[in-house]
Amino acid sequence: MPGTLYKSAAIVGAAEANQIGFLKEPVTALQLHIEAIKNLSDSTGLPISRIEGVFSTGWSSELCEHLGIRPKYIDTTAVGGCSFEMHVHHAMAAIHAGIIDTALISHGENGHSARAIGGRGAANYGRGGVNSPGQEMTMAYGLGSAPSNYAHAMVRHMHRFGTTTEDFAHIAKVTRDWATLNPRAAMYSKDVHPFGGPITVEQVEESRLIAWPLTILHCCMVADHGGAVLVASPKVAASLNTKPVWIAGAGESMGHSNMLEMEDFTATSASVSADAAYTMAGMGPSDMEMALIYDSFTITAAITAEMLGLAPRGEGHLLWKDGRAAPGGSFPINTNGGGLSFNHSGMYGMPLLIEAYRQLSGTAEDGINGDKGKQTSARTCVVNGTGGSLSTTGTLVLVADD
Amino acid sequence: MSYKFPVPTQGTHTRPFWEGAKAGKLMLPRCQDCNRVHWYPRFICPHCHSTNLEWIQGSGEGTVHTYAVQHMAFGPWAEEVPYVTAYIDLKEGDRMLTVLRGVDPSKPEEIRIGAQVKVEFEPANDDMHLPFWRVVEG
Repeated sequence: MPGTLYKSAAIVGAAEANQIGFLKEPVTALQLHIEAIKNLSDSTGLPISRIEGVFSTGWSSELCEHLGIRPKYIDTTAVGGCSFEMHVHHAMAAIHAGIIDTALISHGENGHSARAIGGRGAANYGRGGVNSPGQEMTMAYGLGSAPSNYAHAMVRHMHRFGTTTEDFAHIAKVTRDWATLNPRAAMYSKDVHPFGGPITVEQVEESRLIAWPLTILHCCMVADHGGAVLVASPKVAASLNTKPVWIAGAGESMGHSNMLEMEDFTATSASVSADAAYTMAGMGPSDMEMALIYDSFTITAAITAEMLGLAPRGEGHLLWKDGRAAPGGSFPINTNGGGLSFNHSGMYGMPLLIEAYRQLSGTAEDGINGDKGKQTSARTCVVNGTGGSLSTTGTLVLVADD
Repeated sequence: MSYKFPVPTQGTHTRPFWEGAKAGKLMLPRCQDCNRVHWYPRFICPHCHSTNLEWIQGSGEGTVHTYAVQHMAFGPWAEEVPYVTAYIDLKEGDRMLTVLRGVDPSKPEEIRIGAQVKVEFEPANDDMHLPFWRVVEG
């Protein structure tokens, strides 16, 4: 039996900024937001003036001021890359409660351009500042970037389950195969990026070490991305140009903020957030026909697949290794090319939502150049964002319109 | 030679830890109601939510829980790559982060999860002596 909030709201449109990827002309994060919002309004037919709720990772008041709108509901949840899945959860609850009928969820992050012109991404992820005792007791030990942390989880997974770097390398290879079907992917081809185009498992294994056992091809990129989705009540959904994709279930949770507090390095709170989402949907992992999983690193994708119940513990990587997750496979995963090969600007939760919407609304070819390739026939999709250092998770169960 | 790596700012409630470190002692916070040790130091016991906390002297012994070898780093640590980082299971319970000593970063497969480690303290300045952990058996 589905829960009360089952299908009480839908994602009714998804759009991106005009240009994304490793942009030659630097852009600001605000520009990426606004372009995506404008494109979203144009495609759905919902005037920007009719947006009632604004959800973003700390940007909501600036966005509303820039757009000249007066929202009835403001949410700035910023707990890393999964924040956007949580925004959908929160928007759904606000719509169900009757407070709003339309909710804008917006993302703009110039992870690449910021190196040239500065700018801000997520502001504070809630990991604590200089006065946090967790920081006080960890900052001396030479960890900085995300891979420096995540590598510890991969080592523990290898120790506990006997997995190998080669097992995880298949995730990078298969995800790149998807990117070669997506002309908007930063690693689409050698023409788009010198390191683009297909890769082999051996290339993943032999690429430059970042934090052993993670080589660079086990790691996501840091590029520019802007995106926006519109969540609406069934009544508004019926009035728009675009098809609804129904939110059947949503859940969120967290295990820790600082990786020091990660109890089991081979598990995340996705098991908890997924349980909530599946329960609301009245569905389970076996009802899912595809998945979009935050792949900050290959190990993130493998562990998350296990947490979502898509594979037994220790066997998440097999979904990719045996080809089920690949183009043409029985269970497509990360059909846009993932954070590994499509785009990852620092927080990847928005691209997950956009691709899930496109797949389930039958618009996954992006309308860029008519390439055939990445559209699947899936009618159900589990979406999972992971934020921080395997810290926070948001899970959605989405279903196509009847 | 002076210590060149980043040094934490001492917090408002962690003085007993840093005073202990200067004397070569690993001081750990323990809850007087549930008797469990936790790390990092809290204002409240994360297990039972009591605020009745005390500091005890730890054994300075533990085991490697997991590790990684850092090949890309920032600031002064960038000059040290490759180096091994590890999470240490304390004998008293809970976990600490360290740059692991007594291991060869060029042979990561030879580092053993579960290996015995002991704490040692390195003076960073007059006030702050930082704990590091060293593998004492393979």
